[in-house]
Amino acid sequence: MAHNKHGHITRRALLKAGVALPLVGIAAPNVLSQPLSKSPSTVLDFQTNADVAKAEQEGQLVFYCHENEAGTAGIMQGFNKDFPKIKTSYVRAQTGALYSKILAERQAGRFDVDVLQLSDLAPAFDFQKKGGYEHYESPESGAYKQDNLSTPKGYFFWTGVDPAGIAYNAEKVTGSDAPKGWKDILDPRWKGKISCKISASGLQFVQWYMLRKLYGDGFWQEFAKLQPHAFDSRVQLFDRLSKGDDTITAIGEYPAYILFKSRGAKVEFVAPADGLVATPLVVGAVNKAPHPEVAKLFVDWAMSKRGQAWYQTNPNLYYASVRTDAPPMPTGVSLTQFKLLYPQDWDDYSKQSATFLKEWNGMLGL
Amino acid sequence: MAPKPHIEVENLEVSFGAVPAVRGVSFTVTHGEQLTLLGPSGCGKTTTLRAIAGLEKPVAGEIRIDGAPIYSAARNINVPAEKRGLSMVFQSYAIWPHMSVFDNVAYGLRVRREEAAAIRNKVIQALALVQMQAFADRRASQLSGGQQQRVALARAFVFQPSVLLFDEPLSNLDAKLRADMRIELRDLQHRLGITSIYVTHDLEEALAMSDHIVVMRDGLVEQTGTPDDIYRLPRSAFVADFIGSANLVHGRNRRDLATHGLLALETPGGQVIYGNAYGRSAGDELTVSVRTVHLQISPQRPAGERNVWPARVEKTVFQGDFTQVHILWGDQRLIARCAALDPLPAGQEVFISVDPKRVVLLGA
Amino acid sequence: MERHARAVSAAASSTESVSAQKIAGYGVATVAAVLVLYPVFYLLQAALDVGDPQTRPPTAYGLDNFEALLNYPQIMLNTLSVSFAATLMALVIGFIMAWILTRTNVPGRLVFEQLMAVPYYLTPLLGALAWSMLGSPESGFLNQFWRALGGSGHVIDINTPYGIAWVMALFEGSVAFVMIGAVMKSMDPALEEASQVIGASRLRTMLRVTLPLVIPGVLGAAIFVFAEMLGSFAVALVLGTPNRYYVITTAIYQLIQQYPPRIQVAAAMGTSLFAVMFVMLFIYRRIVTAGSYVTITGKAFRPRVADVGRLRHLLFCVCVLYLVVSVVLPIATLLYASVQKIAVAFPAADNFTLDNFRAAMSMNAAGSALTNSLILAFATATIGIALMGLLAWLIYRSRLPGAGLIEYVVMFPQAVPRLVFAFGMMWAWLAFPIPIYGTLWLLLIAYLTVFLPLGVRTIAGVMLQVDKSLDECAQMCGASWMFRMRTISIPLLVPGLVAAWLLLFIASVRELGASILLMGPHSKVITPSIVESWFGTASELTATLALIQTFVVAAAVAVLVVVTRRVSTHVVN
Repeated sequence: MAHNKHGHITRRALLKAGVALPLVGIAAPNVLSQPLSKSPSTVLDFQTNADVAKAEQEGQLVFYCHENEAGTAGIMQGFNKDFPKIKTSYVRAQTGALYSKILAERQAGRFDVDVLQLSDLAPAFDFQKKGGYEHYESPESGAYKQDNLSTPKGYFFWTGVDPAGIAYNAEKVTGSDAPKGWKDILDPRWKGKISCKISASGLQFVQWYMLRKLYGDGFWQEFAKLQPHAFDSRVQLFDRLSKGDDTITAIGEYPAYILFKSRGAKVEFVAPADGLVATPLVVGAVNKAPHPEVAKLFVDWAMSKRGQAWYQTNPNLYYASVRTDAPPMPTGVSLTQFKLLYPQDWDDYSKQSATFLKEWNGMLGL
Repeated sequence: MAPKPHIEVENLEVSFGAVPAVRGVSFTVTHGEQLTLLGPSGCGKTTTLRAIAGLEKPVAGEIRIDGAPIYSAARNINVPAEKRGLSMVFQSYAIWPHMSVFDNVAYGLRVRREEAAAIRNKVIQALALVQMQAFADRRASQLSGGQQQRVALARAFVFQPSVLLFDEPLSNLDAKLRADMRIELRDLQHRLGITSIYVTHDLEEALAMSDHIVVMRDGLVEQTGTPDDIYRLPRSAFVADFIGSANLVHGRNRRDLATHGLLALETPGGQVIYGNAYGRSAGDELTVSVRTVHLQISPQRPAGERNVWPARVEKTVFQGDFTQVHILWGDQRLIARCAALDPLPAGQEVFISVDPKRVVLLGA
Repeated sequence: MERHARAVSAAASSTESVSAQKIAGYGVATVAAVLVLYPVFYLLQAALDVGDPQTRPPTAYGLDNFEALLNYPQIMLNTLSVSFAATLMALVIGFIMAWILTRTNVPGRLVFEQLMAVPYYLTPLLGALAWSMLGSPESGFLNQFWRALGGSGHVIDINTPYGIAWVMALFEGSVAFVMIGAVMKSMDPALEEASQVIGASRLRTMLRVTLPLVIPGVLGAAIFVFAEMLGSFAVALVLGTPNRYYVITTAIYQLIQQYPPRIQVAAAMGTSLFAVMFVMLFIYRRIVTAGSYVTITGKAFRPRVADVGRLRHLLFCVCVLYLVVSVVLPIATLLYASVQKIAVAFPAADNFTLDNFRAAMSMNAAGSALTNSLILAFATATIGIALMGLLAWLIYRSRLPGAGLIEYVVMFPQAVPRLVFAFGMMWAWLAFPIPIYGTLWLLLIAYLTVFLPLGVRTIAGVMLQVDKSLDECAQMCGASWMFRMRTISIPLLVPGLVAAWLLLFIASVRELGASILLMGPHSKVITPSIVESWFGTASELTATLALIQTFVVAAAVAVLVVVTRRVSTHVVN
C-alpha cells in the first residue's frame, strides 16, 4: 500500500488495490454520500456523522484557508484544542490564489486537502460544479437557513460573514471631514491616502459588484483616480490605518476594526446607511481528501455552536455567525443590526468575475 | 647490432584545439640512456614529454615502450597515464603539501599495495640517495625549493620505474644550485640505470647530462645526436646558433679554389673562407658556421695561408670568463669570444683567423 | 623490463575502457542537465501557450503572450530603472568600501572586511521590513523624529523607486564590494609605484593608472550586480507594492496569485527577463574570461596600503556608518517595534509589551518553519558540495568531451530570477509521478538547482587554485582516479569545500524567491513565512518573527563556523 508522507494509506492506494470505484478526475462529482441509516453521534457538545475514532486514527487535518496567518492558525487552534489527537496543518493564501492552487494540484492528480475555506461564493460554486467538494450533510445543518447552505445541501456552508464598511484614522480625519456614506470615499482629498484590497480578495469582488450596482459603472472609475494602495489582508489595511500610512480605507472589515480598537489604535468605523458589503466565508469538506473522517468531523465542529463560538470570539477572526441561534458578537452587536449588501443573483455575480479582475488590476497598475 | 630501443616515438603530432604544438616528431631512446629534448620555449618539447607520459592526447603518431605501443593513432590505443608504468619529475615539484615527506615518497609504493615494512625500507633508502633522510617526518610544505626538488626525485624513482621523465626540473633553482644538482642527477641516473627523457631549454644542462640530444623548434625536430656531434657539426643555422654561439657566413661555392678536401666560399665582400663539408652536399650557394670561440684574434698577422684576414674591432664586452669582441670583417660583422685577452680599443686593426676544420658547412 | 612490457601490453590491449571517471562525470552532468532544463522547458512551454490556460498540455502555441507584454511598459521600465539605480548605488558603496578596506590603513580593516558580509546574511527582506518602519512617509521612525524636531511632512520616503534602490543596494550590494575588492587586491602595486616614481601625484596616479586598470573588473562587477538586481524580489515586494510600484518579479507574483492566474503572461514576463539577464551575463563572461583563475603559486600580490594620515579616522567613521545603516539600525528598529503594541517612534509607557514574542513563539513560522529551514539547509549544503564538487571537477579539470557544454547548463540558473525559475519548477514537478510536490524534497531540489552557479563557481575557484600538476604527479605514480580523489584532490580541497558548505547553508536559509512558490503545508521555511506574516499580521508581530528567526539562524551559523574551522584545520594536519 502506498503511504503518503505521514504514513497513512492514501485513498489512491485504496483505489489501486482494487476497490471498485471509478477513478474520476475533476469532471464528475463523487458519489460517496453517507448511508441514510447511520445516525449521528454526539461528541463534546455537538452532533457528528463522522467516525470520531477513525478520525483520531487518521490524526491529521490539512486545511486550505483564505484567512491571514494568525486567523488560520487561530481556527486550527480551536479545533486542535477540542481534538488534541488530530494534528493540524494549513496553507493560507488569498482566495484567488488559494483556489488556483487547489485546482492546479487536483489537475495534476494531487489530492492533499481535507477542508477548504474561501471568502467568496463564486469559486465555491465553481468548485461544487467541478465536483471538488465532498457531499456530506452535517447533522448540524438544521441550525442554518437554506440561504446559508449550498444548493443542494451538503457541499458547503457559511461559517460566518465578514462585513465591511469604511474606516479611517481618527487623528487625521476629524469632524465634518469624516465620511458617512459610500460616496464619500470618492472625495479627491483622499488621493494617495486611501487603501483597498487586491483583486484576489473575495470581499473586494463583492464590494465592487454591489457598489457598482448601487451607484453605477462610473463609481469605480472615480475611485481609480484616487490611486488607492491595495493589500492582501485586512490586518495590513488596519496596520497602516492605525499608524497613519493611510488616512482612510475603502473596505474596513468589522472584525479587524474590533481587533485594532482593542489594541488602542485610533481608528473609527463607519457603517454607511446604504449598508455594509459582506461576503460569506464558506467551508466545505474536500472530495478525495487524505483524511476523510477528519474532514467531516471538522465540518460538524465548525457548524456547531461550539465551533461558531470560537470563530466569533477569536480575536483574529471575529466572524459574524449566521447560525440561527447564534449569540451577538463580542462587541454586543448582533449581525441582524447591520444592513448587509450581498449579491442576490450569485450566477450573475460569478459571471462578472473576469470584468472585475480586468478593471481592478488595471486600476492598480497591473 | 644496434641496441634494442626502450622508447620509440614515431611521427608524433599533438595539437591544442586548432593550434599544433608538435608537428611530427620521431626519436628513439635506448635502455639506460638519458635523452634530452632541447629547444626554446614554445618548441613543443614539454608537450612531447607529456604526451609520452600520457598527460596529453596526441592526434597522430605512435609511442612504443619495449616494442609495445602505449599510444597509437592507427590502432586506436591510448593507455591512461597511470597505467603506463613511467615516472615523472615536474617543474614545480608537485610536492603534496598536506602530507609528510615520507608519505610523499611512499605514495607510489602505496598505490602498488606494497607491505608497510617494504615501503619503510624503500623510502628510507630513496631519501638517503638524495640526502633527505633526516627530513622524513617533516611536513612537505616546510621545505625549501632545493629540498622539495630532492624529495620529488626520491618519490619518482622509489618504485623502481624503468623510465624517468623530467620536465625542466632544475629551472626553478638558482644558478649555483642548478649546477650542483645537474651533476647529482646525472650520477643518480647512472647509478640506477634508469632510462631518462629530460626536457630543458638550458644548453649547459643538456650538454652536461645527455647521452643524446634532440633539438626541437616549432614542433619539429631540428637535429638529433650526441652533445659533441651537435656542438661540432650543427646541421642548420638555428642549431648552430642555439647550441653555443656561432657566426654564419654566406657565399658562393668557389669549387675552383677547393683543395685538400676543403671547400672554398667567397663572401659578397670578396673574402674567401675555407671550411669542411663533413659529408653534407655542397650546392652553389653555401652557408658555413664559425663558432665564436673558434675565431682567433691577434694584433699581428699570424702564420698560415688560409683563413687569415685583416679586420677591425668595433667594441669589446667584458663577460668575466671570456670577452666578447665585435669585429667588422669586410662589410660583415662577426663576434669572437676570447679568454684572457689584452685590452683591445675600439677601432684597432687586428687579424682574425680560424682553423678550416672549425668552419662547418650547414645543410641537410 | 619484461615485466614492464607485459604490464603495458596488458593495459594497452584494453583501449580506453569505460572508467570510473566517465561514469561519475557523465552521471553528474545528466543530473545537472535534468535539474536545470526540465523546469526551463515548462517555463518556455507556458510562455508560448496561447490556448486555454486551464488545459494541459497546451493546445496552441504562439507569441501572443509576448505581445501582451507590450501592455505593461511601465513594469518593464520600473524594473530597468530601479535595477540601474540600485546597481549604481551598490557600485559606489562597494567601490568606496573596497578602496578604504584594501588600500588605506584604516584601523580594524580585517574586522570590517568580515563584517561587510553581514548585510548579506541579514537578507534584503529584513532590510526592507526595517527600512519600511524607518522610512514610511507617515509612520516611519525617522520621519517621526523629523517632525518631533520641528520639521514638516517627511524627510525620507522609502516607498519610492529611490528608496527601493537604496535598500536593494545596501543589502544585495555586498557582492559589489567583494568583487571590486578582489580586483583591487589582484592589482600589481608595482604599476602604481612606477607611476609615482616618475613623479605623478597620488591623485593623478589614481586617475591615470589605478582607475583604468580597475575599470574592467568594476565593469564586470557592474554587470553581475545588475543581473542580481533584476531578479530582486523581497525589497520590491515590501516597499514597492504598497505604492503601486511593480517590477517584473513582483508583477509575476501578483499575476499568478489571482484566480484565474495569468500563468502565460507571467511566464512570458519571466522569459523576457531572463533573455535580458542572459545577454548581460554573456557580456560579463566576455569581459571576465580575459583573466585566468590560477593564483601563481606563492606569488600573491601584496597590495600597497597607503598611509592616509589623519584621514584614517574619517574613513573609520565611514565604515562604521555603513555598518550602522545596514546592520545596526535595521535590527534596532525591528527590536524597537517588536516590543510595542503599535510601533511608534515615541511610545507611551503602556505601549510596551512582550505579547508579540509570546504570539510569535506559538506561530507555525517560528517553530516548524525554523526547523524545516535548518534541516533543509543542512541537506542542501551537504548534498550540494558533493554534486557541485563533482560538477566543478567535470567542467574545469576532467578532460571528458562535452564538459564545456555543461558549464553553460550549470550557469543557466544565474540568468533566471529565482522566482521565475521556481515558477517553471512548480509546473515541472507538479506533473512528476513521484509525489515530491509540496514537500521539503521539492525545496531541496529547487535549492540545489538555483544554487548550482554559486556552488560550482565557489568550488571551482578553490579547485583551480590547486595546481593540476599535483594530480598529474599522482597519476604518474600509478594512482587511479578514485585513489587520487581520495588521497590528493579531496584532502587538498577540504578547506574550500568547507567554505562552500557554509556558503550553501547560509544561502539556503535566506532563500526567498523559489521557496515562496514551492512551499507546501508541511514544508514551510523561514524567509517566505516572514513574508506571509507581513501579509497577514501586524507589522510588530512580523518584526518579532523576523528577529527571532534571524537570531536563531545566526546562532546556528556561529556554531557551524566554529565547528568547520576545527574540521578543516584538523584534516589539513
